[in-house]
Amino acid sequence: MKDVLDRHRIICCVGSGGVGKTTTAAALALRAAMDGKRALVLTIDPARRLANSLGLKELGNEETRIDASHFAQAGLTPRGEMWAMMLDLKSTWDELVKVQAKSPQQAEAILGNQLYQTLSTAMAGSLEYMAMEKVYEVHNSRRFDVVVLDTPPTSNALDFLHAASRILDVLDNNAMKIVLGPMLKAGKFGFKLLAAPSGLVLRTLARFTGSAFLRDLTAFMMAFEGMYEGFKERALEVKALLKSREAAFVLVTSANPLTIQEALYFHQALQADGIATAAVVVNRVQRDPRRHGGPDNPAAIEEALRFAQIKDEGSPRLSERLFQTLTDQATLADLDRREVERLRATLRGVPLYSVPRLRKDVHDLAGFWQIDSDLTETGGD
Amino acid sequence: MSDALLDRRLVVMTGKGGTGKSTLSAALALAAARKGKKVLVCEVVARERVADFFGRPPSGTQIKELQPNLYSVHVRPREAMREYGLMIIRFETLYKIAFENPAARYFLAAAPSLAEIVMLGKVWWHAAHDMERGRLRWDLVILDAPATGHGLTFLTVPEVFLRLVQEGPLARDMRGMQSLLADPQKCSVCIVTLPEEMPANEAIELDRALQKHGFPVGPLFLNAHFSSRFTPQELAQVTRGGPLLAAAGEAADNHESRAALSAHYEGVLRDTVRRKLLPVPFLFERSFGLQAIEKIAGTIGGVL
Repeated sequence: MKDVLDRHRIICCVGSGGVGKTTTAAALALRAAMDGKRALVLTIDPARRLANSLGLKELGNEETRIDASHFAQAGLTPRGEMWAMMLDLKSTWDELVKVQAKSPQQAEAILGNQLYQTLSTAMAGSLEYMAMEKVYEVHNSRRFDVVVLDTPPTSNALDFLHAASRILDVLDNNAMKIVLGPMLKAGKFGFKLLAAPSGLVLRTLARFTGSAFLRDLTAFMMAFEGMYEGFKERALEVKALLKSREAAFVLVTSANPLTIQEALYFHQALQADGIATAAVVVNRVQRDPRRHGGPDNPAAIEEALRFAQIKDEGSPRLSERLFQTLTDQATLADLDRREVERLRATLRGVPLYSVPRLRKDVHDLAGFWQIDSDLTETGGD
Repeated sequence: MSDALLDRRLVVMTGKGGTGKSTLSAALALAAARKGKKVLVCEVVARERVADFFGRPPSGTQIKELQPNLYSVHVRPREAMREYGLMIIRFETLYKIAFENPAARYFLAAAPSLAEIVMLGKVWWHAAHDMERGRLRWDLVILDAPATGHGLTFLTVPEVFLRLVQEGPLARDMRGMQSLLADPQKCSVCIVTLPEEMPANEAIELDRALQKHGFPVGPLFLNAHFSSRFTPQELAQVTRGGPLLAAAGEAADNHESRAALSAHYEGVLRDTVRRKLLPVPFLFERSFGLQAIEKIAGTIGGVL
């Protein structure tokens, strides 16, 4: 994994929700900081847990440096710096609008539009788009050697790289402009958008939504007039950066068949865009207790208990419960192994790291560091 | 309160992805069907899963029977839009002109969550208006809500929509949906979670948000729950029992650490979430099919 961190300036951790993406992203940023880099972990996870485990009260839209004393507590001496921040969807959109607007008046008109407020936060793909936008901005500022992005738990892998163009396509849709044409014209001639929807399509749409909504929509489109080009150009630059050699995509998954399936979808989606998966991390893999050998049937366990002078009591008896538990844990390990092998076989050639299930949740830098050792020791093979 | 949950018209299963919403939707449906109710499971997620639990091919957008009295359907935006659009516009040609043109794509994305609205609209229609021989066709509709944004975004679309649009047929139906989703006699919104940190925290947030919006408070299902099997003394003895007991000791230790996590998060959830908490035992199954669903249905069916 050191290799991935050394050769890239942007690391995107992708995968479905609840697989430990945030933890993996933090562990990677920590690793980079320990190795002497200025590393930023950019999370979208609003839970305060990451902030707390980094010794911060909370994370905001500003980069915050992890204090040296917090490293000392974990017995770590970083040669570089570790920073963290949390993506704020609305303010990232607002910033982008302000940067792209032709005048402060235009920015005001957009920011104040009710539809903009709903669209910016509620439109599907908005979070993905803004996460990418933020990475681009931070990367261009050259303040960090490496930025590790913890991406949104996208349900549809394809949304990820195409979110920007999809949203911009929505904002600048010629067909819709034609449909709204009469209302747009009325607006331009200063009729204050009081015109009633005309035209067959418009009237039909109005039957669904009422004409007030169409008026809002028209006002919104007029406010955006002239800005699309800038938005599009920038989105293309963001995409180009993510497809460049500076960026690497790390797939994060758990050993659960459903999340493995999702990981494979992600991999295919990336491939379709001509992007290679740099590594895959499988979290929470159950270790097989049978690797220790020893008795694995009820009679032999009974015998072993006798030998260790442990009373075989209770209901069911201790030996029976131990046998059942050994069987159950072995089943879990078998299932996980089967899934990891399936993933390995499908992703031939991609380094795969498996992180064993920890006995407790990760709560501090020491926990992230433990994960880092798994990310290096188990080795990509 | 016995059977109260299954006596609702609409039961909504919410929760983070991967917590087992589909599994519990299927198990609830099976429990209700076995009690003689005619049940429809509506899946609004990207990939349907319920039919597979019953060893059946995906239902797709046409309602299919999976078990006696148990049906499922995959609710997808495009088809739901069409069905719903036709209900309102009634003329196919007119619908095509308005919706099957490039502008509709814009419209679908720009009108606040129109895709979610028509999908929720379809579920609502099955729960409240789908008649067969003079009575409602379904005794119970179970909605397996989408995982993104906790499914809360999905349930609040009528509210968001009505803030922007107050007139027209959609607005009228949104009010109908809102009143069904607010009626504790007819509807119940459940949460599914796991005894792990993130899912537990999200369940707490989700509970607050659902209560804030006034959704009828259904049970909290704590899925994949591990129960303790060993006393602390037993565990201490076995883990120090030498090489012969190394494998059994590690297995017992793993099990107890997960049981401890289960107990911890169960405690946290009982303290913070004012809902009936129902632990659903972890199943050590090599494959997850009808047998597993039946086990869960048996466990929760008895309690509900």
